[in-house]
Amino acid sequence: MVDSRAIKQIDKYLFEIDPSFREDMRVPARLYTDAELLEHALGDASVDQLVNTATLPGVVKYVLAMPDIHQGYGFPIGGVVATQLPDGIISPGGVGYDINCGVRLLGTHISEEELKPYLDELATAIYNNCPSGVGKGGEIKLKTGELDRVLEEGSRWAKARGFATDEDIERTEVGGCLEGADAGAVSAKAKERGHDQVGTLGAGNHFIEVDVVRDIYDEEAAQRYGLFVGQIAVQIHCGSRGLGHQVCTDYVQRFQQTVQKYGIRLPDRELVCAPLNSPDGQAYLAAMKAAANYAFANRQVLAHHVRRAFAEALSGKVRNPHVFQVYDVGHNMAKIEQHEVDGERITVCVHRKGATRAFGPYHPDIPSAYRDIGQPVLVPGSMGTASWVLRGTEEAMRQTFGSTCHGAGRAMSRTQAKKKVWGGELREQLEGQGIHVRAGSMSGLAEEAPSAYKDVDRVVEVMHGSGIATKVARLVPVAIIKG
Amino acid sequence: MQGFEEVEHTADIALRVRGRDLRELLVNAALGLSALLADRTEASVEATQTRQVEVEAFDPESLLVSWLSELIYWAEKDRFVCYGIEVQEVSSAHLKATCTGGCAPELRHHIKAVTYHNLQIIQTDQGLETTVVFDV
Repeated sequence: MVDSRAIKQIDKYLFEIDPSFREDMRVPARLYTDAELLEHALGDASVDQLVNTATLPGVVKYVLAMPDIHQGYGFPIGGVVATQLPDGIISPGGVGYDINCGVRLLGTHISEEELKPYLDELATAIYNNCPSGVGKGGEIKLKTGELDRVLEEGSRWAKARGFATDEDIERTEVGGCLEGADAGAVSAKAKERGHDQVGTLGAGNHFIEVDVVRDIYDEEAAQRYGLFVGQIAVQIHCGSRGLGHQVCTDYVQRFQQTVQKYGIRLPDRELVCAPLNSPDGQAYLAAMKAAANYAFANRQVLAHHVRRAFAEALSGKVRNPHVFQVYDVGHNMAKIEQHEVDGERITVCVHRKGATRAFGPYHPDIPSAYRDIGQPVLVPGSMGTASWVLRGTEEAMRQTFGSTCHGAGRAMSRTQAKKKVWGGELREQLEGQGIHVRAGSMSGLAEEAPSAYKDVDRVVEVMHGSGIATKVARLVPVAIIKG
Repeated sequence: MQGFEEVEHTADIALRVRGRDLRELLVNAALGLSALLADRTEASVEATQTRQVEVEAFDPESLLVSWLSELIYWAEKDRFVCYGIEVQEVSSAHLKATCTGGCAPELRHHIKAVTYHNLQIIQTDQGLETTVVFDV
């Protein structure tokens, strides 16, 4: 176990573990955190897991932990690991089972006051329009061969089917489609799990939330992102559903033998990986991209369902029920990107597992409307608490391979949470705060109790204080829709 | 000695599983997974279906993961949960079994996958023991 003596503070919010700490470390491990969050992190195996990732072949500069780091399996959740091409590794465990789990933020022209009389109706309409729950299928029936299009075209497929606008596509990370996705690299089983789940929310920590923009911290950025105080907004948090889970399962299994083929020694079998320039590495990359595209399409169809719910519940009642897209960004992905390492621009594979891309101003991958501002970063809080919109910075490009935190991060296990909190009680508590709740499962609700998570405001403060991603707006929930 | 018990894990669900030999360990792991998926008394799962399964792997741990992954796949596909397992053939890299169970009206947990996280089957005085972490 890593103890606090091995961790050296090098800046107000930055700590480092020297590679001499363990002989198999190839690079240092850095943690963006504060004293209290660090203590949390040291309470489980997350820092050991971070150190484990520093042993991976081809890893460059340092491995990083965001302040919301918590124990995962193999890689910690809240970790960023970059490996150098051509022969650095790619690891399915560095992306996670929910490939391209992410957040979409939708804005409206509706104020809190204007919505108030109809909020309950809207919450019900969203719940009815967006299928949720364990293994639940949706209303979109894909024709033979159409799933392959979803996998290879992502949001572009959604647009062809009339579920997306050009603006939605423009305001999605990589335009909602990772080039090089190959449906042929995705197993029949994965496709079977995914064939009827496009446009479904699933269960667990995934949700749709109706929010109010409570505070603005950066007027210029907020205006550009289309946000104002008192505005109603909607967050959609979900990923690639069963299809992504199966892709990860398949490749973690396949790579158990691949690592032996390439003579890669690992401290944990969940870290299995393959060189990026190997047929195995390329196959996973192509399959992961396909699952990521599925997730972009999934959130796009859900956005379409949300728009329909707004129209159903609010047409003729509010001045303008139009719902526009602010941004969509993933927090479980591996991306091939260019970054500067030791004064040299190199091509790396950035694994972000429970970490959000946070590109700074003028990066070509940022939508033109936001380019001089920086990429919007969406950080959902735990249920019932605040969520944040941040902006990516030059500092993120310099320090963190253009990455930041992804949420509050769990502090308590699901079983612990359920022992302490009863779903019905939690619902009453949330409703007491004026938050409308639509949930399929009460025990599922209890597992996601806010007390099971770290304080998102504190997590965001670390990123803001480090200059990695700065505060734009703080959102608070008024309705929660869950499986 | 119960064949399985749930243990604490920050983000996910973990099961400690025991068995006198690999056959019993694999059966108990599956029953533990079924207990996580559906409450049999509550969900009134009628054990009316039998399904054949055959999995290949290359060591006992990968066999365990392959086996449980198959059951997770069934649970997601049509909420099939198994309560009776008859093992026909077992070796350290191969399992052939018949599962009896039924489709639950709803599942208690959404289990995304079974992980290799610190997965190791160890020998104890009573037989074999392992802790399996599920991603939920």
